[in-house]
Amino acid sequence: MAEKTITIQATRFDPDKDARPHLQSYEIPFIDESMVVLDALNYIKTHVDGSLSYRWSCRMGICGSCGMMINGQSKLSCSAFLRDYWPKPILVEPLNNFPIIRDLVIDMEDFMHKLKSIKPWIIRKTEIPLGSGEHRQTNAQIDDFRQFSECINCMLCYSACPVYGLNNEFRGPAAIALARRYNHDSRDEGTKERLPVIADAEGVWECSFVGECSVVCPKGVDPAKAIQQSKLDTSLRFVVPFGNRE
Amino acid sequence: MAEESGNTRVYRKTMPPSWWTRKAHYFWYVVREFSALPLAIWLLLLLGEIRSAANGPAGYHPLGGTGFVIFSVIALFFSLYHSYTFLSLSGAIIHFKVIDRQFPSWPIVWAQMIMWAIVSAFIIWALWWFST
Ligand code: SF4
Ligand code: FES
Repeated sequence: MAEKTITIQATRFDPDKDARPHLQSYEIPFIDESMVVLDALNYIKTHVDGSLSYRWSCRMGICGSCGMMINGQSKLSCSAFLRDYWPKPILVEPLNNFPIIRDLVIDMEDFMHKLKSIKPWIIRKTEIPLGSGEHRQTNAQIDDFRQFSECINCMLCYSACPVYGLNNEFRGPAAIALARRYNHDSRDEGTKERLPVIADAEGVWECSFVGECSVVCPKGVDPAKAIQQSKLDTSLRFVVPFGNRE
Repeated sequence: MAEESGNTRVYRKTMPPSWWTRKAHYFWYVVREFSALPLAIWLLLLLGEIRSAANGPAGYHPLGGTGFVIFSVIALFFSLYHSYTFLSLSGAIIHFKVIDRQFPSWPIVWAQMIMWAIVSAFIIWALWWFST
């Protein structure tokens, strides 16, 4: 019996040679039902074309580095099974809304800058000395931010967000969800420091609630919810008497 | 479009004007945003009628005709859709705790839908009462 195969159409872009990206097709053996798109790319790189560039690391949906557009949908390539697409060809492109450096590798500089801008660390007015023991939290206090702490920085939400696609100044879904994660951490006292970035016109108010960020998020972070709730909270801080308190 | 970014030459794809046709979700988002437009036009027409009514019965010529009825039905459909989507989203936005537990979103959405139905029923009754 002839070997089962599948066609991968991958974006190729060599910044030293190409004026614009183009597609290249690879027909590869589809030998195992558990194969994912990342396996197919690894097969191409090992056996067919070693020049194909892409990012990956953990192969298990944890590191967040293998995000790509797979048949036009933002996905982790290590979680997209070939069996869900076979026998049709699979179109693999770099994440939308980001500049392409080479092939499937995007420039994540803007995302990194946005993450840093919301100060994603615990801010204290006075540090608690290490010797004083753990800073305990109840389950309810942890539940307040746990969902928003699941983010793996895969940038799928940015690639699915048309608002970010149209205006790169928008702080974006993951950064705002992460700001909410720290603002709702009972150990944190930095909400006021994050507010100017979050309550800004390019912060929560740029979002018009398309909601696709939450659809594509592989970790159930629901950044759209984080943004809408932050809109309500920042407004209440403004209108409720003494709302701007720490 | 190729451009320099630091020392690297990168390629930046721009969003095509047809981006909203890429996914059903995008399409319904655009419909949701535009659904406010027929309602706004209908309300402007209503304001125009109220203004002309201020000049007494002689100057008052209420809008009618098949075209206006069809437009009103379209505006009604869009305003119902707009209200429905807006109230559904409120479940994601409004959040509070009851005895240390996050209050679920579905009672919030349903409470708003019911309030919306009651207020609408009251307005219909009031309009009918004034007209008789
Ligand atoms: S919010 Fe979800 S989609 Fe966005 S970067 Fe984090 S894990 Fe990825
Ligand atoms: S390789 Fe780590 S998330 Fe896919």
